[in-house]
Formats: sequence, structure tokens, C-alpha cells
Amino acid sequence: MDNQNSMAVLQVEGLNVYYGAVQAVRNVSFTVQAGEIFGLLGPNGAGKTSTLSAVEGLLRPQSGIIKVAGYSIREQSKEARASMGVQLQATSFQPELTISEIIQLYAGIYGVSLTKDRIADILADIKLQDAGSKRYGQLSGGQQQRVSLLIATVHNPRLVLLDEPTTGLDPQSRRQLWERMEAMREKGHGLLLTTHSMEEAEAICDRIAIIDHGQIIAIDSPQVLIDLNRDKPEVISASRKGKITLEDVFIGLTGSAVRT
Amino acid sequence: MSQHIPSSATVYSALLRADLTVQWRNRRASLLVILVPTVILISWKGLIEKFGGAFVLSNCMTVNLIAIGLMGYTNAIARDRDKGIFQRLRVAPTSAWSIMLSRLTVQLLMIVLNTTILFLVGYNLDHIAMTPGGYAFGYLTAILGGAVYLSLGQTIVGLIKNPETVNVATRLVYFIFIMTGMFGELGMLGKEIQAAVKWSPYGTVNRIVSHSLVPATWDHDSTIALLATIGYTLLFTLLGIRWFKWNSR
Repeated sequence: MDNQNSMAVLQVEGLNVYYGAVQAVRNVSFTVQAGEIFGLLGPNGAGKTSTLSAVEGLLRPQSGIIKVAGYSIREQSKEARASMGVQLQATSFQPELTISEIIQLYAGIYGVSLTKDRIADILADIKLQDAGSKRYGQLSGGQQQRVSLLIATVHNPRLVLLDEPTTGLDPQSRRQLWERMEAMREKGHGLLLTTHSMEEAEAICDRIAIIDHGQIIAIDSPQVLIDLNRDKPEVISASRKGKITLEDVFIGLTGSAVRT
Repeated sequence: MSQHIPSSATVYSALLRADLTVQWRNRRASLLVILVPTVILISWKGLIEKFGGAFVLSNCMTVNLIAIGLMGYTNAIARDRDKGIFQRLRVAPTSAWSIMLSRLTVQLLMIVLNTTILFLVGYNLDHIAMTPGGYAFGYLTAILGGAVYLSLGQTIVGLIKNPETVNVATRLVYFIFIMTGMFGELGMLGKEIQAAVKWSPYGTVNRIVSHSLVPATWDHDSTIALLATIGYTLLFTLLGIRWFKWNSR
């Protein structure tokens, strides 16, 4: 475990989050390694966003340890936040600023010096060379996600947090984003991803954790989770095509009732 | 591997640059903010002989401070909070104070700029001339008075989460302050209202600005008004910080 933690870009141990008397996260523990895409899956209200918010430092948990690249999010908050890049689900930037100005703002906040030529180069890298003078709201959903991911990684962070990054994207844009995530994994970044798409989790995640009612109920690679649960009656009854998929395992473990 | 942490000055300068750009792009809204006090200043030319140039100018400066604090700052904070702009900034290695300090610096610059415009309009169109000391003291009290309305705006945005409701509330407070402040101070709404206005945020700010423009008129009453102004600022700041939530959801 110690050896595993030494490679971990994110270490979460015994995390508990309450909203008043309601416990949203119960004793959650997991790690994200360098060069790994880790998926956090769960139905609505399962505790994914609360867990992610605690990791991001937006929410103060009642107990538990969160370390980003070895830095405690509580005691070494600035170091921890400087070590991670975040793409929030409902990210928005000042509508008055152009894309170049937004990149410049976040580069400045992370202490990264970027010339105008360098900004043009990195925009060309994500095939948005003509977007520099546009406003964020003028971009398509896929283009916004690319810019958002670019800003999240402008400081080359060790950990990247992505909150439902492909929601609302067409298949082409989604595939393109997957390729970018995989490229980041190859470079040694650790990625923590939340998603409702089981196809996505199965396609790109090295390991996943299924969270329900605030607790992690399963954690492993997608294939191992399928293999371990394929004979369970609730998983078999969730199967629609005869072949057991990650979605069948997910519904089998978390139940078929719709959550609000 | 140690993580590079940008200095507070670097972060502040990046934020300030962005906030100044946003302010510049919103220059039409800024023009509307200065328009109302400028129109009052020009239309009240006839009152200068009766009440004095400092009285007319200070009323217009007070209206300007209310507009900057309540309409500009407060609505921008409410909108950015609702859009998640603050949450995005807060997951970066920025401190809450540097985000707010940058916003307040822009408002401070707006106060200085608009005060200068009113001084120029007053001098050129209404022939209101102050001593250099009066102008300097006027800038100082404008900043102090501006702090009252910025902190009042902070309290409103702390109490109300919905940006549309914040917009309505600030317009209402703006209207009430101007109407009761200006007409109440002149005694047109009765003696009780006149007395209440005298010690309201409108009255204390108006008085310190008015007396600072003619430093020779600064007296014990002005000092008490100054202390009351500082008191209002501290109270509203305390409430504004205590009630403020970075997330509107």
C-alpha cells in the first residue's frame, strides 16, 4: 500500500461528508496512480460530486485524508490545487473575455508565462487556431470542452479532474476527447473522471469505482468488475442483450430504480 | 518533485488584468452609471446659489457611489457566482481575498474615474470650483463613501442567491436611497424623514463628501458622520462576508 501511495497522484482515505444531518459520503477511500484514468461512477445523488468537490477543495469534509501529489488539500491547499487541473461540470468563464484572454488569465493564475505566439500554438494543437479572438459562448459544445480541458492542463498538472466531460457531445467530439485523455495518460498524468456513460468508462478507464449511497461498493478494472459480477442474478436480470456489459453490472449493483 | 506556486502578486495581477478587461468591455453599462449623477449635476445648476456648489456636487457624487456599489459591483458578483466563474477560480491556487481584492480594485478605479468626471462637469458646466485640498479630500471621502455601498452590495449578494432577484433588489434600494436621500435631505418628505436620512448611509456619506469638498466646513458633526460611515462599512462588510456563499446552488 505504501508503495502504491508513493506513486499515487491522488490519495483519498476515510472521507466523510455531511450536509447537516445527511451523510453524503461514507468512509470513501481510493487512489489514482500516475498514468492512470480512474472513473468514479454512480447514480444521481450517490456522492460523486461531493467526493469530487472535497478533492477540489470546494467543500470541507468532516473527516478523512485527501492528498494531491502528496500535498494535503487542507494543510497545503495551494500546493495541492496547483498540482491539479480541474474541468468542472458547469464551468463558465467571463463572457466578456476572448479565448486567448481566458487562457492568459488561467496561465497567470498558475504562474505559467505564455506569449501570444505560444497561445496561438496551443490553440492550433487543439484545432482551434481561429478561436483566439472568439468568446467562450461562441464556441460549439465540443470546442468549449477542448478549451476547458486545455485550461485545466495549462500548468501541466499531475492530477486532472474531469467532471462529466463528454456530456452533450456528439460521437466525433467524444472520441476526440477520449484520445486527448489517453494522450494525457501516456504522458503520466493521473485522471479522475466522473461519467454516466458506461461505454466511456469501459472504453478509457483503467479502473473504476462504483459509488452508491455515499459508499464505494465496487472498485477494480472494468473487465474484472464484469467478470466478478457476471453470475449475480441481479446483473443477469439487468442484461438486455445476453452479453454482460459494465452497464449491466452497474445497474445490478446499484438497482434499477431511477434516482432524482 | 515540488510544485510551483505562483506568488500572490502574480495571481492578483492576472485577475486584475482580466477584471479590467471585463470592465472595459462593459463600458456602455459604466456610461449609464455615470449618466444619472451627471444629469442631476447639470439640472441642479439652479440650486447652487441657494445651497452651494459643494452640496450639489456631493449629492451627485453620492448618487454615483450608490450606483457603482449597488448596480455595478453587486450584479457582477451575483452573475459570476451563478455562472460558476468563482468556483472555477477557486479550484486554482487563488485565495478568496485575491479574487475579491481584484474586483474591488476595479470598483475603486471606477470611483476615482467617475468622481473626476463629476469634478470636470461641475467645473466646466456649473462653474463649481474647489481648492486643491478640497478636491484631494473629496477623492478620499468618495472612496470611503464608496466602501459603504460596496459592502452594502456584498450584504445583498450574501442574502440573495438568485441573480435576477439581486438585480431587482439593488435597483429598488438604489431608487429608495436616491429618492428618500435627495428629497428627504431637502426636507421635502417631512422632518422625521429628514432626521432619519441625516444618519442613514446616504446622509452620512453625503455629509462627509460635502464637508470634505470645502475642508474649512469640516466640524464635529462631520467627524461623527465619518465614524458612522466607517461603522456602516464595518457592519455591512461583516454581514456580507458572513452570509456570502461562493456557489449559488
